[in-house]
Amino acid sequence: MHLLGEETSDMEKEISTHLRECDECDGIFREYGSLVERIRTWTVSEVPEELWQAQKAALLARYRQDFAGGRGKGIIAFLRTSLETAWNYALEHPLSTLGYVAAALAFALQQTISTFRLDRILPGASQVFEILRQVF
Amino acid sequence: MASLQSDEDLVAKTLEGEEAAFSRLHDRYRQRIYSTVYRIIQDAAAAQDATQEIFIKLYKSLPEWNPRKAKFSTWLYRLAANHAIDCWRARRRRFEAPPLDASGREYVPERSVSDAIFTPFGALERKEIVEQIRRCVDNLPELQKKVFLLRYFEDLKLEEIADMEACSLGTVKTSLFRATHSVRRALRRAGGSP
Repeated sequence: MHLLGEETSDMEKEISTHLRECDECDGIFREYGSLVERIRTWTVSEVPEELWQAQKAALLARYRQDFAGGRGKGIIAFLRTSLETAWNYALEHPLSTLGYVAAALAFALQQTISTFRLDRILPGASQVFEILRQVF
Repeated sequence: MASLQSDEDLVAKTLEGEEAAFSRLHDRYRQRIYSTVYRIIQDAAAAQDATQEIFIKLYKSLPEWNPRKAKFSTWLYRLAANHAIDCWRARRRRFEAPPLDASGREYVPERSVSDAIFTPFGALERKEIVEQIRRCVDNLPELQKKVFLLRYFEDLKLEEIADMEACSLGTVKTSLFRATHSVRRALRRAGGSP
């Protein structure tokens, strides 16, 4: 005998022994068993198969659109999804997007200025870059 | 042999974009999820909508499932129970519980309920019992409601529920005890034993 079905075998033996000797606990145990039986009379009707099929068709269409079409089919689909996400974000948060664009421009300008400075310090650096560009 | 595929396999394939795998997961869990959701929301149409929303949430959050932390079914029940509680909260003030049919089951159109007469209790007694349990469950605090339903109807272990709810085993045991006690009192008040 067990109360919740999760007792160890030692505990189960102990409970069984005690219940044989103690009428009061045995009564409580039986009452509990009867209560659980009554609780489980609350059954839920099964949903008709046609309804499930209709729901599944809609669900799978959504899955195809959200998942298989967007994430699962190569780099182009991935880029398209990423651009869509970025565009949606830009529409929803225009100020933050302007901030990010400004930061990116500042970074690019800084890089350009650094390259010009490098050319001043190391004359011919831009020629070296040009040779490398042609090689690769 | 396809029906014997493990949840883990089906999840992996679903994540790769295999529609058939997701379809099998849906077939495997739809009725169980619906039953859990129905017992929380207590309205057939709303429970069907919520079940659909849960499956959409499922494939979107599948990458978050960690098989080392929880079984897939436990993780899914958590998702379902939490979503159902959210729907229940939203509906609570707007709707009354729908009436039960003579067998104690909620009426679902175009379904026969004649099998209810073979239960160990008479139809009227059964209806009364279910009505009392249903009312009582509807008024339980959220944690007690979840613990009660997942333990008695989904047979989840108390430790699994504790993991699911991120609370101690003691809290789950106390919640189950209180919920069971409330139902017992409700049944006694209604004149039935125990």
